[in-house]
Amino acid sequence: PQNLKCVTHNLHKMLCTWDVSSRGRRGQTDFCYATNDLTPQVCFKTKERRVEIPVPESSITVTIKSPGTAFATKEFVIHQKDISFVPATPHILSLTPDFPTSTLNLKWSDNGLVFPYGLDALWQIQILRKEAMEEVTQVTYYSKLTHEDIILSWNWTSDMPLECTSHYVKIRCYINATQFVGPKDWSDWSPAEVIPGKDTEPGGSGVFPLDTVVAVGSDVTFCCVHEEDQRITNMTYGSKSYTMMQLSSRSHAIRVLNASASNSSGTNVVCRLENGMDGSVVFVGYAPDIPQNLSCETSNFLIIKCTWKPGRPSGLYGERKTKYSLFERISSKNVSCEVNEMNRDRVCGFPVLPDQKTYDFVLDVSNPIGQAQSSLLVDITQRVHPKTPEKLTVIGNNSTSIQLRWFINGSFAGIRLLCQIEIISGHSEKKLQNVSMTGGKSSSYTAQLNELHPNTNYQFRVRCSAADHFWRWSDWSRGVDQTTSEAPPS
Amino acid sequence: MAAADSPSTALRRRDLCSRGIRLAGKMRADVVDLLDTYVEQQGLDASATVAALEGVPLAAVERWDEQTGTQRLLENLAAYRAFRALLAQMLEEQREQLGEADAGLGRALAAVLLQVSAFAYHLEELLRLESRGIPGEEGDGPPPPPRLSLFEQKLRGLGVLRELAQWAVRSARDLRQLAKPSPATGTATGLAESP
Repeated sequence: PQNLKCVTHNLHKMLCTWDVSSRGRRGQTDFCYATNDLTPQVCFKTKERRVEIPVPESSITVTIKSPGTAFATKEFVIHQKDISFVPATPHILSLTPDFPTSTLNLKWSDNGLVFPYGLDALWQIQILRKEAMEEVTQVTYYSKLTHEDIILSWNWTSDMPLECTSHYVKIRCYINATQFVGPKDWSDWSPAEVIPGKDTEPGGSGVFPLDTVVAVGSDVTFCCVHEEDQRITNMTYGSKSYTMMQLSSRSHAIRVLNASASNSSGTNVVCRLENGMDGSVVFVGYAPDIPQNLSCETSNFLIIKCTWKPGRPSGLYGERKTKYSLFERISSKNVSCEVNEMNRDRVCGFPVLPDQKTYDFVLDVSNPIGQAQSSLLVDITQRVHPKTPEKLTVIGNNSTSIQLRWFINGSFAGIRLLCQIEIISGHSEKKLQNVSMTGGKSSSYTAQLNELHPNTNYQFRVRCSAADHFWRWSDWSRGVDQTTSEAPPS
Repeated sequence: MAAADSPSTALRRRDLCSRGIRLAGKMRADVVDLLDTYVEQQGLDASATVAALEGVPLAAVERWDEQTGTQRLLENLAAYRAFRALLAQMLEEQREQLGEADAGLGRALAAVLLQVSAFAYHLEELLRLESRGIPGEEGDGPPPPPRLSLFEQKLRGLGVLRELAQWAVRSARDLRQLAKPSPATGTATGLAESP
């Protein structure tokens, strides 16, 4: 027996192998070992030239007696430094593709149960692609063993759609067993797991990604999967033809750098073949900006109207357009807003809730490229912007005073109103008179104007606001004309 | 010998035919304009070849000369009913994909759809004139196409509009044929006979 070598995969047991000359190969071998002087020797017979025995703390004495030869018995003293530590080949539990995001999710067990707590483990993950299994990338992932079998998970996003060609993943590991003095090495690579591309599927042809949305400035790879016997003539992005890369006998790709915004119907990616064409549409736009100047007010204590400035247009329309929703934290009520992408101002209505003055709004803005938020905490009684007063009429009149009445749509029962009456007399003298009154529920309001000049024509109009916590005036009502009567003979 | 039309029926038919010819001419002009807008707005190559599309009636017909008047009207009516459904589908897809953007294309599509509906009704008028039964609308036109990708939708739209432009030409020819007086009697004859 010669060239005794021992390798451990788990720091507990080691696999020892040895060579024998050709004469000594038949029959059973007597194998004995003893880890130190105190423990009894363990012996057994084996036909193999490999045995699994414990890893010694420091050294182990091995005696091997080969059958039927004169120089059969040999003794070896193996020190820990002579033992190689090569972790077991990792086993991929699952490789799951997410086609819309071109992402692979890899799950594997770290096999930590057999190792002491706290060891550092390094995992090398290799991604390969195409028929020729070319390496795309190799990544090192770090984890700590916890003396339990933990399932580790890792995501990788491909720079091209997974449909374009088959993607393969392999993994190996290295465990930094600092207490172990022997040489340490990487495990073997795991068998490759594969996500087949459409170019391996009969009838899998098409242009990919299909009908996707990307951000302006993105670098995008488009591929054309075609039948084996079809010859591809060119691939265009918009009106421009691109140099093609061959991924496999049934798949060609182009790489578009720094994609610019598409028009509303998207940019066509067309693959021209000898006898036909295939295509896809990509929508290149912007993530929504953070809404600016979010402001909320009520004109009637029934509906709160929030407005904001949207910022840069997203360039996305129809089912891809930016969507808005208003969430109120206190009541946890959520309202989705109907917004016309074409007009500049943005408005969303939220119902005034019974017995709630303070509203903690979050305006959520999202489209397929990204999302943004704005928030606003507001006491709605301090954000009253009444509607324009209507039906301003004169209900009383004498030589020096006039009584006006008007109507305001809205429920202001909980607050006081401040109304301002503009008085323009014939001599184009303009005066403003303020009156405050208790708010009502969709009701009329009156005011008396005194100290007017007899036999004088006056024009009046009125606007109102909240008396306490002024926010904004309503618009001016329509004007009304009235001439005071003549002074009675003195 | 086929019974000759009464003078009023012949007059009515000629009137309907000439109005139909004008409607077809207008429709063709609008479809051609729409095609230009569509190609540009959808970013398509105007010279792109589009394979024959399922559910889109082909204007080309063999032995056009040998068709009877009734066959002409019935084929025209079936075609424009199909185009009505196809254009409505395109309009729906347009709204879904573009929403408020490019409302111009949406309006142009809707205008052509209106004309196609009017033309179909006009054809029914002609058939009623001949006391021909108006074929029922089997389940409102062709079955909805399978869910197409966006590029396929764009190409399909191109194919539909091109074929509709061809049909407008054919319809005008068909109506001119129907309006022709019969050589023998010099008066317009019933539809069944007019080749």
